[in-house]
Amino acid sequence: MAHAEFSDPTDGTGGGALGAVDRSLHRIEKVTSLIAGYGIFALMMLGVWHVIGRKFFSAPVFGYIDVVEVMMAFLVFLAIGYTERLGGHIRMELLILFLKGRLLALFELVSVLLALVVVAVIGYFSWTHAMRAYTLGDSSIDAEIPLWPSKMVVPVALALLFLRLLISLWAYLRLLVDPTRAAIAVPELLSPEEQARREAEASAALVEAEMGAASAREAR
Amino acid sequence: MALELSKDAIGIIGCIALMMLVIMGVRVYVAAALVGLVGIVSLIGWSAGAGMVGTIPHSKSVNYTLSVLPLFILIGYLAYHAGMTQSLFEAAKRWLGWMPGGLAIATIFAVAGFSAVSGAATAASAVFARVAIPEMLKANYDKRLAAGVVAAGGTLDSLIPPSAIMVVYAIIVEASIGKLLIAGFIPGFVSALTYCLIVFAWSFWNPAVAMPIRGYTWGQRFASLPGTLPMIGVVLIIFASMLLGWATPTEAGALGAFVVLVAALLNRMKLVQLNDALLETAKLTVMIFAIIWGILIFVRFLGFAGVPERFSEWVVGLPFPPWVIIVGILGVYLVLGCFMDAIGMLLLTLPVFFPAVMKLGYDPIWFGIVVVKMCGVCLLTPPIGLSCFVVAAVRRDIPLSDVFKGALPFVLADFLAIAIFIAWPELITWLPDQMLN
Repeated sequence: MAHAEFSDPTDGTGGGALGAVDRSLHRIEKVTSLIAGYGIFALMMLGVWHVIGRKFFSAPVFGYIDVVEVMMAFLVFLAIGYTERLGGHIRMELLILFLKGRLLALFELVSVLLALVVVAVIGYFSWTHAMRAYTLGDSSIDAEIPLWPSKMVVPVALALLFLRLLISLWAYLRLLVDPTRAAIAVPELLSPEEQARREAEASAALVEAEMGAASAREAR
Repeated sequence: MALELSKDAIGIIGCIALMMLVIMGVRVYVAAALVGLVGIVSLIGWSAGAGMVGTIPHSKSVNYTLSVLPLFILIGYLAYHAGMTQSLFEAAKRWLGWMPGGLAIATIFAVAGFSAVSGAATAASAVFARVAIPEMLKANYDKRLAAGVVAAGGTLDSLIPPSAIMVVYAIIVEASIGKLLIAGFIPGFVSALTYCLIVFAWSFWNPAVAMPIRGYTWGQRFASLPGTLPMIGVVLIIFASMLLGWATPTEAGALGAFVVLVAALLNRMKLVQLNDALLETAKLTVMIFAIIWGILIFVRFLGFAGVPERFSEWVVGLPFPPWVIIVGILGVYLVLGCFMDAIGMLLLTLPVFFPAVMKLGYDPIWFGIVVVKMCGVCLLTPPIGLSCFVVAAVRRDIPLSDVFKGALPFVLADFLAIAIFIAWPELITWLPDQMLN
């Protein structure tokens, strides 16, 4: 679980058409991820409200568990494309780190093609799953919240991921044709040394900020 | 002529295919979902199979029990803005500095405390490499010891709540999250003690290390505590809620996150920083959930093919005592951990290993703690023990080989701790058995 900061792919201008498409999609991905992030923030506030209400006012949140379950789809799926773009999904990099040039592009391309197949099939059938809930009018047990919007989040998130993977496909094809070009619109591949270096930089910023805050307190 | 494969053959081919895809560098959730999808379709047909697979991501993720995970992750990212690393080190020095090797021992507890709350062993090591190593070197500590304690202390985090990896284990083997969170305490304490033993032994050989820090009054000691409140508060809230049955893990996670949020706001966290923390939380959350539902698709396939039962029967039939098999499994984790993130490694292997271990008669909570502890060891071992890499990256003057050498005694201490847990499993199972329901 590295906390090191990565450069924001929405910054900058280069990369031609591919770069422009990459940046536009990443802006959308960032918005959906922020929705997920603030959803998690809301999950925290709801939990605090529920516990305090129950302990001190005998007034817990009505249908708390139902509400949490309906929220969850938004919190745990919406950032899937964003995470793909930033290389946040776990993989074994042992072999990949040894590869260079055209061979590396080929392996990445195969990875992306396999992901496209999986995401397309699961995306389609999660859509039919959500449509079934919509036509049948399924709702949660206690609070009777309709379930289809929660189920619909899965195909929507997977559709965004599918678009992201299409851009990766384009980017790796471009590298397969000419491996000497600079990689754009794809996640960075970091060696353990490079990961450690970024972690070291991130810690420098944190310690500096704490020192600054401490001396500001003393000055007061 | 159509080739008819037996269920067993399809199951084995599936496991080999998954291994190959993962080694090729395919994202773990994609590899697991793909093999699971193809396997299920080949066993029960396209429309029934693919239709069922399409329901798994939603039905397996959207579950109240799992909602604790995003909250634990949120605690971790907010903890960075609570400004408590200096306070933790200062408090640990004042309270524990009187022991021989006082600075090193204080460092172990400060790193362990911060990494427990932040949920990131490597990041905690990076921060304390900046905060604690300069002080130790000023006191004439051996460079290798200074680097070793900073790298090793962070690996205690997975045993102390809020621990995301513990929750992931509980989810995949369907154990009680509350019991696991409670169960980590005594083993965490035992591990810290074995680390202290290493420091005592080191200070016996090298008197410079032995220098205790004395002279703090009780007033000064208590004065150092307020800065550590966010960390102590989070751990206590989760521990007490689980042990006394006050709140569900999700509720305890929400309260813990709120405490850290208040600390971060008092420490003047800015809106930009909150946005970043929430984005990082969403990113890590989706990463873990994707791999959970991906693996659960694969697990459904394994179940249809009957692989776990077959593997269990085979393991139980082996002519070795059970503890040898446990040591063998831990050996597999030690090797795998060199190449892979702990969460990915556990999720990939547990569906097959766990039923076999249960069939041998071990306790699910006990096995969880031992396995999670093993994942910590993997952060300290060459060739790519990430905690050691991070310390060497912060301290350019300490070569990577010296960091590994400094961490080696602590790896041995971990092996000792694991041997203790295998010999006396009650150390792990006693506390969760005291839980009120």
